[in-house]
Amino acid sequence: MKKLYILSMTLLLAASSFAQDSEETFHGTRILNGHSVETLKKNTLQFRIEHRFGDLIGVAGGVNNFFGFDQAADIRFGFEYGISDKLMVGIGRSKGTSAPYKSLVDGFVKYRLLTQNKSKGMPVSLALFASSSLSYEPAVSDISLIQHYPEFAHRMAYSTQINIARKFTDRISVALMPTYIHRNLVNTDDVNGLFALGGAFNIKVLKGLGIIGEYYHTFPSSDPLVRPDNYNSLSGGIEWITSGHNFKVVVTNSRGFGETQFIPYTFSNWLDKQFRLGFSITRNFKL
Amino acid sequence: MKTKLNNPLTLILVGAAITVTFLGFKFKNENGTYRTMNVQKANVSDVLKILGDDEMVHSMVNFDAEKARIGEDLILNGRTKVDGKYSKRISKYFVCTDCHNLGREFEVLTDESAEARLNYADENGISFMPGSTFWGMYNRTSFYNNDYEKKYGSLVVDSRDTLQNAVQLCSKYCSSGRYLEDWELESIMHYYKKNELKIEDLSLSENDMKNVQKYAKLKEDEKKNLIETIKNSYVQGYGATFLPTMPIDKRKYGEGGNPETGKKIYDKSCLHCHSSGRVTNLKLDHSSLTAGMFWRNIKKYSDKSLYQIVRHGTYSKTGRKQYMPLYTEEKMSDEQLNDLVAYIKQLAKK
Repeated sequence: MKKLYILSMTLLLAASSFAQDSEETFHGTRILNGHSVETLKKNTLQFRIEHRFGDLIGVAGGVNNFFGFDQAADIRFGFEYGISDKLMVGIGRSKGTSAPYKSLVDGFVKYRLLTQNKSKGMPVSLALFASSSLSYEPAVSDISLIQHYPEFAHRMAYSTQINIARKFTDRISVALMPTYIHRNLVNTDDVNGLFALGGAFNIKVLKGLGIIGEYYHTFPSSDPLVRPDNYNSLSGGIEWITSGHNFKVVVTNSRGFGETQFIPYTFSNWLDKQFRLGFSITRNFKL
Repeated sequence: MKTKLNNPLTLILVGAAITVTFLGFKFKNENGTYRTMNVQKANVSDVLKILGDDEMVHSMVNFDAEKARIGEDLILNGRTKVDGKYSKRISKYFVCTDCHNLGREFEVLTDESAEARLNYADENGISFMPGSTFWGMYNRTSFYNNDYEKKYGSLVVDSRDTLQNAVQLCSKYCSSGRYLEDWELESIMHYYKKNELKIEDLSLSENDMKNVQKYAKLKEDEKKNLIETIKNSYVQGYGATFLPTMPIDKRKYGEGGNPETGKKIYDKSCLHCHSSGRVTNLKLDHSSLTAGMFWRNIKKYSDKSLYQIVRHGTYSKTGRKQYMPLYTEEKMSDEQLNDLVAYIKQLAKK
């Protein structure tokens, strides 16, 4: 753990920057699964459609379900809006993975507190982020399941995040995302409050083409007694940026969308060939 | 020792000269009262009027400074506050100043060359844009000239000789917005009136200045000549030549171009809109990544090639109303385009 910390902090602080300002530290408001430090510009409305398919290969994948395309692990569509150049809000609806949540609505607020600027001596960009999700599926009668939802509040989960990013060169950006997730109802072997540290990079090969990696490490992580079946979310992706569109293709072991789903509830293991394709496509409208 | 200035006669002469130069002459204004006029500061349109020139279609009688202020607000922000509430935006996508400067663009007002315009922009720290400046718009008599018919078809017919119609065409079509309401159009016209050319802005000869001062004594044909002279000392309507995408065999790809001039164009033209995400989704900067994108596509016939995008721009379409206007030959010459490409080449380290 400590090594990861030290490595990340060293990466963030030690290297020198060539960027005068920090435009496009990451493209778009998401890195892959998680949020980026970027916010929408004022008066911009963004429509997003996101998909995660079934397993690409392995036992549940392969040609029989056409490499996962026959199954939709999760689907989300959402509307997001830039109130100012620094403050944005969003709402979304996702199918949910049924592990445990289904029929989710979510909302978030993100505020860009700092912007990297060499001439002003600001080494990083920083955004504060908070989200919550609500499952409106009918409660089940099995009291051993989270979906039993004894009280309405149990349907809710929250996340807060400090998103720190630095653009090292025109081509390379790195981000560090300490995240706290609180779920009102969890399994007996889980914890309500879960801390996770995310890290991500973006390498721009061309002006409109980038390679992205993203990893969230949870604490505790896959302990035999606490959260025994959970894995950490690891994703890789490629993005295309065209004027007005941002199209990302993701390969990830997570199934669900939103910090309250993909960080605490990733049960797939890359080493067991349990990873899948996904994409997100966005369209900006000027209001 | 005696100097000539002590001579009473000399003193009187000098005094008279100063009086004539700085106090100007008397003329009857709209209200029928007499008042002296500083010829240097006189509005060009007023002087033309007293010389007996035909009135312009958009000629304005009672200027209102408050309306001009509202007009300026509309031009800068696309909306203004009416009774404490914001008016409806003229366009969601553009404001006037995305394409038009508001001040002088040429050292000599008869000049129309793109080179002179860039030099002046460089010396005065203003942008180098596809539209003509609003300064002196009031004095022009012809709009959407020459090839603008190719882009806007018959829409230009009513706009060519009438400033109000030209403003409406720009407001509705060029800015992907709506037609102006009467009070908005009126306010903008008052802004134009406020920022019309003054006699001192024109490079009139000493003799012509004297003629203006003693206009009442001029004969009819002398007045006509003077009107002609004044009108010839600024541009009545800026020309607009649309060039096709330069054929590949004619492109020099920056060969012989001046990258320093190119950088000026990049900063004052491209980055005027592309440095922020407000007008466009394509953000540009001085990185080799950005230059690389241009350089890879430079040999194509596509929007990604500078040779095409500068000459054709893009079109406003449903779902994507923001578009890039084109640069006419008058607003960016082929030599300047080559300079721009030379700079991109340097930036891309090719």
